[in-house]
Amino acid sequence: MFSRRDMLQSAATGFGLLALADLLAAAEAKPTDPLAPKKPHFPAKAKRVIFLFMHGGPSHVDTFDHKPKLTEDDGKPLPFPKPRVVSGETGNLLASPWKFKRHGQSGATVSELFPHLSTVVDDLCFIKSMHGSNSRHGGALLELHTGSDTFVRPSMGSWVTYGLGTENRDLPGFVTICPSLSHGGVNNYSSAFLPAVYQGTPLGNAGISSDKATVPFIAGTTPRTQQRRELDLLGEMDRERLTHLGPDPALEGRIQSFEMAFRMQSAAPEVQDLSKETEETKTLYGLNDPVTAGFGRQCLMARRFAEAGVRFVQCSHSYHWDQHGDLRKGHGRNALAVDKPITALLTDLKRRGLLKDTLVVWGGEFGRTPTAQGKDGRDHHPHAFTYWLAGGGVRAGTTYGTTDEYGFYAATDKVHFHDLHATMLHLLGLDHTKLTYRHAGRDFRLTDVHGEVVKGVLA
Amino acid sequence: MQRFLSAVCLLAFAAEGRAAPADEQFEKVVRPLLLNKCVSCHGETKQKGDLRLDSLEAILKGGESGPALVPGKPEQSLIVTAVRHNEALKMPPKEKLPAAEIAALVAWVKAGAVWPDAKPVVPAPAKPAAVRTFTAEEKAFWAFQPVQRPKVPGVPGKGANPIDAFLAEGLKAKGLAQAPAADKRALVRRLTFDLTGLPPTAAEVEAFEKDTAPDAWDKLVDRLLASPAYGEKWGRRWLDVARYADSNGMDENLAHGNAWRYRDYVVRSFNADKPFDQFVREQIAGDLLPGGTPQERADRLTATGFLVIGPKMLAEDDPMKMRMDIIDEQLDTLGQAFLGLTLGCARCHDHKFDPITAADYYALAGMFYSTKSMRSYGVVAQWHERPVDSMEGSAKLAEYEKKRAAASDAARAAEKRLRDAVSARLDAERKRASVYAEVGAQLARRRDPLRLAVADPSKGEVKGSVLVEAENYTRGNALKLTDGYGAGIGVIINSGKLPNVAEYDIEVPADGTYQIALRYAAQTARPTALSVGGKVVRSDAAGEATGSWNPDGQKWFAEAAVPLKKGKTTVRLECAGPFPHFDKLALLPLSKEQSAAVGPTAEEVAKEKNLLLPLVRAFAKAAEKWKDKPPTADELAKLAADANGPFKRTPELDAAVDATLATDAKKAKDELAAVEKSKPAVDEAMAVEDDAKPQNVRVHLRGNHLTLGVEVPRRFPVIVAGEKQAPITKGSGRLELAEWVASKDNPLTARVMANRVWLGHFGTGLVRTPDNFGRLGERPTHPELLDYLASELVASGWSVKHLHRLIVKSAAYRMGTAYDADKFRTDPENRTYWRFNRRRLDAEELRDGMLAVSGILDRTPGGTLLPTKNRAYVNSTGGRGAVDFSSPRRSIYLPVIRSGLFDAFQANDFPDPSTPAGMRTQTTIPAQALFHLNSAVADQATEAFTKSLLGVPGDDAARVREAFRRTYARAPTATETDRVLKFLAASDVSTDAKKLKAWQSLCRVLLSSAEFAFVE
Repeated sequence: MFSRRDMLQSAATGFGLLALADLLAAAEAKPTDPLAPKKPHFPAKAKRVIFLFMHGGPSHVDTFDHKPKLTEDDGKPLPFPKPRVVSGETGNLLASPWKFKRHGQSGATVSELFPHLSTVVDDLCFIKSMHGSNSRHGGALLELHTGSDTFVRPSMGSWVTYGLGTENRDLPGFVTICPSLSHGGVNNYSSAFLPAVYQGTPLGNAGISSDKATVPFIAGTTPRTQQRRELDLLGEMDRERLTHLGPDPALEGRIQSFEMAFRMQSAAPEVQDLSKETEETKTLYGLNDPVTAGFGRQCLMARRFAEAGVRFVQCSHSYHWDQHGDLRKGHGRNALAVDKPITALLTDLKRRGLLKDTLVVWGGEFGRTPTAQGKDGRDHHPHAFTYWLAGGGVRAGTTYGTTDEYGFYAATDKVHFHDLHATMLHLLGLDHTKLTYRHAGRDFRLTDVHGEVVKGVLA
Repeated sequence: MQRFLSAVCLLAFAAEGRAAPADEQFEKVVRPLLLNKCVSCHGETKQKGDLRLDSLEAILKGGESGPALVPGKPEQSLIVTAVRHNEALKMPPKEKLPAAEIAALVAWVKAGAVWPDAKPVVPAPAKPAAVRTFTAEEKAFWAFQPVQRPKVPGVPGKGANPIDAFLAEGLKAKGLAQAPAADKRALVRRLTFDLTGLPPTAAEVEAFEKDTAPDAWDKLVDRLLASPAYGEKWGRRWLDVARYADSNGMDENLAHGNAWRYRDYVVRSFNADKPFDQFVREQIAGDLLPGGTPQERADRLTATGFLVIGPKMLAEDDPMKMRMDIIDEQLDTLGQAFLGLTLGCARCHDHKFDPITAADYYALAGMFYSTKSMRSYGVVAQWHERPVDSMEGSAKLAEYEKKRAAASDAARAAEKRLRDAVSARLDAERKRASVYAEVGAQLARRRDPLRLAVADPSKGEVKGSVLVEAENYTRGNALKLTDGYGAGIGVIINSGKLPNVAEYDIEVPADGTYQIALRYAAQTARPTALSVGGKVVRSDAAGEATGSWNPDGQKWFAEAAVPLKKGKTTVRLECAGPFPHFDKLALLPLSKEQSAAVGPTAEEVAKEKNLLLPLVRAFAKAAEKWKDKPPTADELAKLAADANGPFKRTPELDAAVDATLATDAKKAKDELAAVEKSKPAVDEAMAVEDDAKPQNVRVHLRGNHLTLGVEVPRRFPVIVAGEKQAPITKGSGRLELAEWVASKDNPLTARVMANRVWLGHFGTGLVRTPDNFGRLGERPTHPELLDYLASELVASGWSVKHLHRLIVKSAAYRMGTAYDADKFRTDPENRTYWRFNRRRLDAEELRDGMLAVSGILDRTPGGTLLPTKNRAYVNSTGGRGAVDFSSPRRSIYLPVIRSGLFDAFQANDFPDPSTPAGMRTQTTIPAQALFHLNSAVADQATEAFTKSLLGVPGDDAARVREAFRRTYARAPTATETDRVLKFLAASDVSTDAKKLKAWQSLCRVLLSSAEFAFVE
């Protein structure tokens, strides 16, 4: 767990109870700290990821993928076959109830659902030709987060942390704020067979409001001063034992981990403490408005975690976007809750100089059918949907890929989740075919045997 | 027709090889399409998937997935499937072809796939699978060689343990020697944790220290192996391998309400030292093993839970994919658990590293394809469970069966009485068919007034009409709904109380005849009785299906015409079952002409002529189609005899013939249903059974169920079982598989288990990759020792406890852990076992140990602590669910929730319960420290520990002594006492509560310390 350098350092700072040679020998047995920052495979454009996850499946044809033909043929049957495997029956084509306009210099089409985001479209790169393989929430979430809708596999955040380590050892390297407990739950941020250090650290869950979301065990009943005294006594006893037993990296690591935990207890709540942000910033993220405050806090925390050196941060707008019915009301309410906070995050990252090496990713587990479910609803749709990327290494102000004229199937430059994963890793300086881990007889990858880097979205 | 003709023409042309219009289409669209979009990957230079698309011959021959095209049959042509992009096979992969090109291709295939200047081609049969031959190296791979009982090296002294003799060779080769033995205190703690997962009590340590008899160690070993805690510790180790969990995890996290039976079976099996080969056989095919007591049979059935408790995608929309994925998970786990083989790697292609072919894989898959592991594959799918016998359960079940038989007889008798009465009456009525026909025709003609008096009564256009919102009922029990089904309009629906009733007091504005109209939505018809002024005017009102339950299915219907007096009247809707979704009702005054046309109702006619009302209605309905041409006598006779005609038996007809008999029959039927509902909850276990019709499966190319290769017979992997295998002729083959795996001649099974036992004691296996004995796994550090242990396991009758004894009685097991710089340099990984490996307590040992030291560990064995009902969700998107981990029972009995692990386990390297784990990873992370500092478990333990300590008589020094004794089974040194007393003195102990806190801090430190958390 601890590197040679850590060992030397501790020896040099009064921790050197053991002969240096012994320490070195001991260090060789377990040579590296698995979370120490690692060099990427090639120079990276982005150092960290913020993933804004819209759980439930936002409709692409109502948000970013403008389909005039859908409006024109409203109420008519889809003129070509639907997929063999679908999650439910849908009827005829359903026009989007929202108007679309072109925005920014790039002329990106955004519906009136996202009035704030439409002011920063020139920072975004839209992928309109996303597709996945699973038409159910659970399978689609797992495919999005782990690359597999079939088996338990490490999550993308775990792979990234495994590949790059983390920059702030007083904080977890991979944080997921208010994640869902269902539809794969922990598997969506678990390390599966990767060592547990790469597991995502959940802050609360989807059922907990974002101002009450904390790291597990981060706070207890013991006052800080008393806890400090406990740790001093414990340290004294453990060091004495270490002297008695001879060098042992596991023991030594344990001693240090208690100190690290103690530091984390102040570091994590500090990052989560938004009270020191300026009023302007709080307003920007919409913290003063109950409609936007929940996701606003997630976004602001994400910026603060990013700033503090956390490698992978996920914000979840949990399971709101599943409008089988009541599309107008539901999507309207959802967009209202996230539009302002997301725009604030992009603006804030940019003005702090963080956007250039932070990769921001927005999307859901699938899109929604251009055909209607009931009168005012759409079904799950993994065959075409929109993602957008922003920040480090992304070709801003562009749109990649298209869907057919109704937005039913991705048509050109199709991008599967595997391709998205490959591209995200590429932007972080990692070759998805080389980031492997040996388990149960073979080398595993986030992209399994699939995935191609989408060159067209790279700056 | 035209299209059909031209297709026929094209085929004819094609057959004659003459130029046809299709040529043009082919040259204009299809050939360029193939050239530009396909042949770069499927042509001269590249043949992805072994497929070429540059000639008709090549296309018909196809590739790995079989022929790419069937002339004339687009739906059976893979090329069409691929370009449509709505299956897993999508071509071109990155870009869907324009609709016009797809249409052209489909038309071309449909028209017979005419390829000008193509030579006549005969579709090639599917390629036979290439036979994989094994290299000499593969055949010679160590793990596939039979276990040889090796000669114990050297001339062992009397009583020397052969294990030490085997290890001595490796040590000697490196110039190393065994470390001196550990002290007795360390040894008793080590052995107690290793065999029972619990710390020894101070008294146990002291007793062992005092016991100087030569067999003191042997006695200790026997005592611990006989403890029920042994099965809890080693059973848990097996549960790691079996990826045991109390919930499904994955996409639909449903409770495995019966998984605990498998867990308890495992614990029992280890405690009983069940021969390991039998343990293996039971888990693979316990349901198929013959003989045994009821308890044994129940145990064997429960054992097959091993095959069912894996994680599954239960909401997979493609049932074929789900089925193969579940089989894959079973094979993968089975391979790793028993054989140390990563069989899962051969799902998509021959194993890249081990000589396991895809054919081997699908040969085994056939056995599980022929096994019922699931009750259904529809979303959300259900895993299989089977009743397990317990004496008490059987008695209850027998009693129930008796009751059910009686109720069933009664129901049958009552039904017969009714049937006889009805058929006698109907025979009589059939003779009056002409009367019915006449009455029916009259009624049908008079239906006019039952057309709506106005197109949309909602608009209130008719003067003197009354419009009532359904939800404004005066009396009733229906549920009012203003959203969902009632969005925008307001409806009433079933509230759960039957019958559904809604009654309206209505003020009739003037004397006259009124049409009663109802507006409702119903996806399936729910006829409802309509009464006005206390009289049923129509017993089958609202009897139409309108297409939907939703507001868009709402429609008006005229239901009856009734004369009413000015003033108050009551309109009542009553339905024995749930209501249709009523929106409104209207009373519409009819004009004189309309009123005049209102004749007697069906009810009145029936009464007057002594006819059966249901028959009158049926004829009225039938008469609607006659127009003005009544049926001839012949037609009428036919109609009367028609089983589905107006004389068809219905419950209404039964009641009309003989209400008493009908009620009796219904009562008896309900009684039977009630008895059946009271069926005692039979104990069920997650288990499998053989399918009635066993079948082989075909190789799935690239693991895809849509691209099938050749069929392979069910058999075992060739590299181990050889080419010559007795064919499996009946049953799934699981029984044969179980026998093969559990055979003493299987080179892997005994080795893999012996290695697991060794690993459990030394912290590293002789093969350091316990679940992978293949080429990518590690080679054994001591192959002879491994074979010796494997042969001992078999020779002892597969006694696992025998292996424990053998191992822990070696000098190697009793070595100290002391560091030695020189030896460390020579062998830093301790591959020669020059010292004993210090190890940290695992998650369960840590928690159980903390609770044990604190005196609150509850040692009750078995059963379940899962509060969630079987197959119910253990948590929701934002809810942690009801699972509670605060019980002080041993950790093995706490629920293992996939994707919702107990946080104390999660922090302390508990393995992911979705994959087999023969060895736990050991990480050192801050979460573990935070667990000690802040978790509920630590609080719970230290609080109890403190309270009990403060009750110890004497001074603080005495209490500190007792605290050390309980935690470490030793007295503190003077320095330690001094240090701790100082710590306490510096704490605020001014009140009892504060004193408690100060001591609790001390207890926390002791239980967090390295001395407690590590085993020497």
